[in-house]
Amino acid sequence: MSSIAEPAPGGVLSGARSPGAWFYRRPAVAGYALLSPAMAIMLVGVLLPVLILVAMSFWTRGGIGFDTTPTLDNYRKAAEEPIYLALLLRSFWVAGIATVATVALCYPMAYYVAFHVHRHKMLWIILMTLPFWTSYLLRVFAWKVILGYEGVINSGFLSLGLIAEPLAFLLYSPTAVIITLAHAWAAFAILPLYVSLEKIDRSLLEAATDLGDGPARRFFRITLPLSVPGIVSATFLIFIPTTGDYITPALLGGPDGAMIGNLIQLQFGPVNNWPMGAALSIVLMLWIALTGFVFLYLARTFRERSA
Amino acid sequence: MGLVTELDKLRHGRLDRRAFNLALLAAGIGLVSAPLLPRRALAQGEQGTFFTWGGYDIPELFGAYQAKNGALPNFAIFGGTEEGLTKMRGGFVVDVAHPCNASLLRWIASGLFQPIDVSRLSNWPDVMPELVSITGNDAGEGRTWLAPFDWGQTSITYRTDLFELQGEESWDMLWDERYAGQLASLASGGDAWWCGAIKAGVPFTEIATDAAFDRVAEVMRAQRPLIRVYTDDTTTLEQALASGELAAAMTWNSSATQLRSQGVPVKFAQPKEGALTWVCGVMIHKDAPNLDRAYDIIDSLLSVEAGEFMIRDYGYGHSNARSFESFDSETLAGLGVSKTPADILAAGHFQIPQDEEFETRMNELFETIKAGF
Repeated sequence: MSSIAEPAPGGVLSGARSPGAWFYRRPAVAGYALLSPAMAIMLVGVLLPVLILVAMSFWTRGGIGFDTTPTLDNYRKAAEEPIYLALLLRSFWVAGIATVATVALCYPMAYYVAFHVHRHKMLWIILMTLPFWTSYLLRVFAWKVILGYEGVINSGFLSLGLIAEPLAFLLYSPTAVIITLAHAWAAFAILPLYVSLEKIDRSLLEAATDLGDGPARRFFRITLPLSVPGIVSATFLIFIPTTGDYITPALLGGPDGAMIGNLIQLQFGPVNNWPMGAALSIVLMLWIALTGFVFLYLARTFRERSA
Repeated sequence: MGLVTELDKLRHGRLDRRAFNLALLAAGIGLVSAPLLPRRALAQGEQGTFFTWGGYDIPELFGAYQAKNGALPNFAIFGGTEEGLTKMRGGFVVDVAHPCNASLLRWIASGLFQPIDVSRLSNWPDVMPELVSITGNDAGEGRTWLAPFDWGQTSITYRTDLFELQGEESWDMLWDERYAGQLASLASGGDAWWCGAIKAGVPFTEIATDAAFDRVAEVMRAQRPLIRVYTDDTTTLEQALASGELAAAMTWNSSATQLRSQGVPVKFAQPKEGALTWVCGVMIHKDAPNLDRAYDIIDSLLSVEAGEFMIRDYGYGHSNARSFESFDSETLAGLGVSKTPADILAAGHFQIPQDEEFETRMNELFETIKAGF
């Protein structure tokens, strides 16, 4: 930018002789060099482990080590034994309900800040995400305290005389997992929703009003369709990690609340069948990808229909 | 090219794109290589690391260690020995780990441990020989694989005010349908499955047979709808018993002792079928980075002070015979321990080490049952 306005020291401009010049004359090389730290991390930290996982899913457990003869046995087992499909479906429903609940609860908050707050917007955003400055684990434990047998809800209801005995179903159930997930991931819904609502051109809303739309019709015809990208990204950001969530069902789910993530952890832990765990992880990844594609397709159809 | 002049250039808009890219590249490389820098400052003066359950990570057990080394050892915590072994197989290196007799053979077979040179332990002469001579522990040349540390029972802790006993104390208590949803179990098969075998009447010598698997699986399936939570977290079990959320739970000695000391009306049952008994101890990792500290950790655990704490506050048996001297036999009987561990271990069902095949099959089946299948 300003290197023209103020000539830099000789070395940079008379680049023909400097080794740096070769580097800068090839934008692709420079680009890759800049990307290289992140690429290296992706390669070592993501791609290699996934490849190892894929390879391992075709092995079988043999005593203390592995039998590396490729076989589809793990996948066959995952398809045949009912426990795997049942836990996969439960994970789908728990994560799905938690996602819908989170997006539905966060939408009004994001809407309010985007349309009705005019000063200190950043402060509002920070305040809304404040609970998420604590660790995920702490938030899960906090819900254990809230939902517990002698927890906030039960002792509150007891002292109000609404119930005679503490409600046992609050903790150690899929309900507890859904409630906790819906709260624990709220920040991941508020921010994308806010961004997409904030971007909406206000003149479109004025035009709709001018042409006779009431507030409700205006919302469903203009605001909602235009905020679909935010809804889609919020849904993905929550659904993907919650489907495989491990710690929330482990702490709050009880025997009936276990999810596929717990089963995968068990394969790598006490059951000590790493190849089976790898196969289940791959199945989970494919399952999430499939649900993702179906959801994207539905979202696109909705947008096209409403456009 | 000092940082200050660079920042100054940036502020005045004179940093050109190339210099900026170069700075970005440098920052990237710096970030990536930061973990490679020497980390001596973080190593806390090179203390040994003890890999154990929660509850053993307390200063009371490491008085001698602290006096010698000026600090506590580092602690790493597992929820169960299987989890611990899996982590170490995955490359986690510690100095000392804490398995029990049932998994001893498999831990040795993993090749991750070195024999203990007992001549380096000042408290070794006081260690009860019957605890040392458990199956598979002899590493030759007077060395052992495991230095026994604590022993005790897995049984039922129940609220004497909430649980109405029908007849004698028995394992049936954890299968009592009157208390459905008020019962809990330890989550690891290493305890729960064996207790299921006692309930099903399967002798431990036959526990690996197909017929035994069927019979134990049947009782575990029958128990599952009655169970509120399966967990290895003793704090969760103790709190739930204290609040009345649970009427009875499968626990180790310590839960009952700790709850009683808080004034909660609980009793550690002596089931008529016999409790599950075990001996745990410590092993040294083959690549222990601080071998001297590893021996200090073990010696500290075997000391009389540590033993008295274990007996008084946790209600566990200890391996040092002299730890029992300050207690009268009435107190010991109340805690469910004895100066002659053989009495207690033989009165219950002592776990028999099993092979890898059994552990995997048992854990897989038990986890499937816990999930409701």
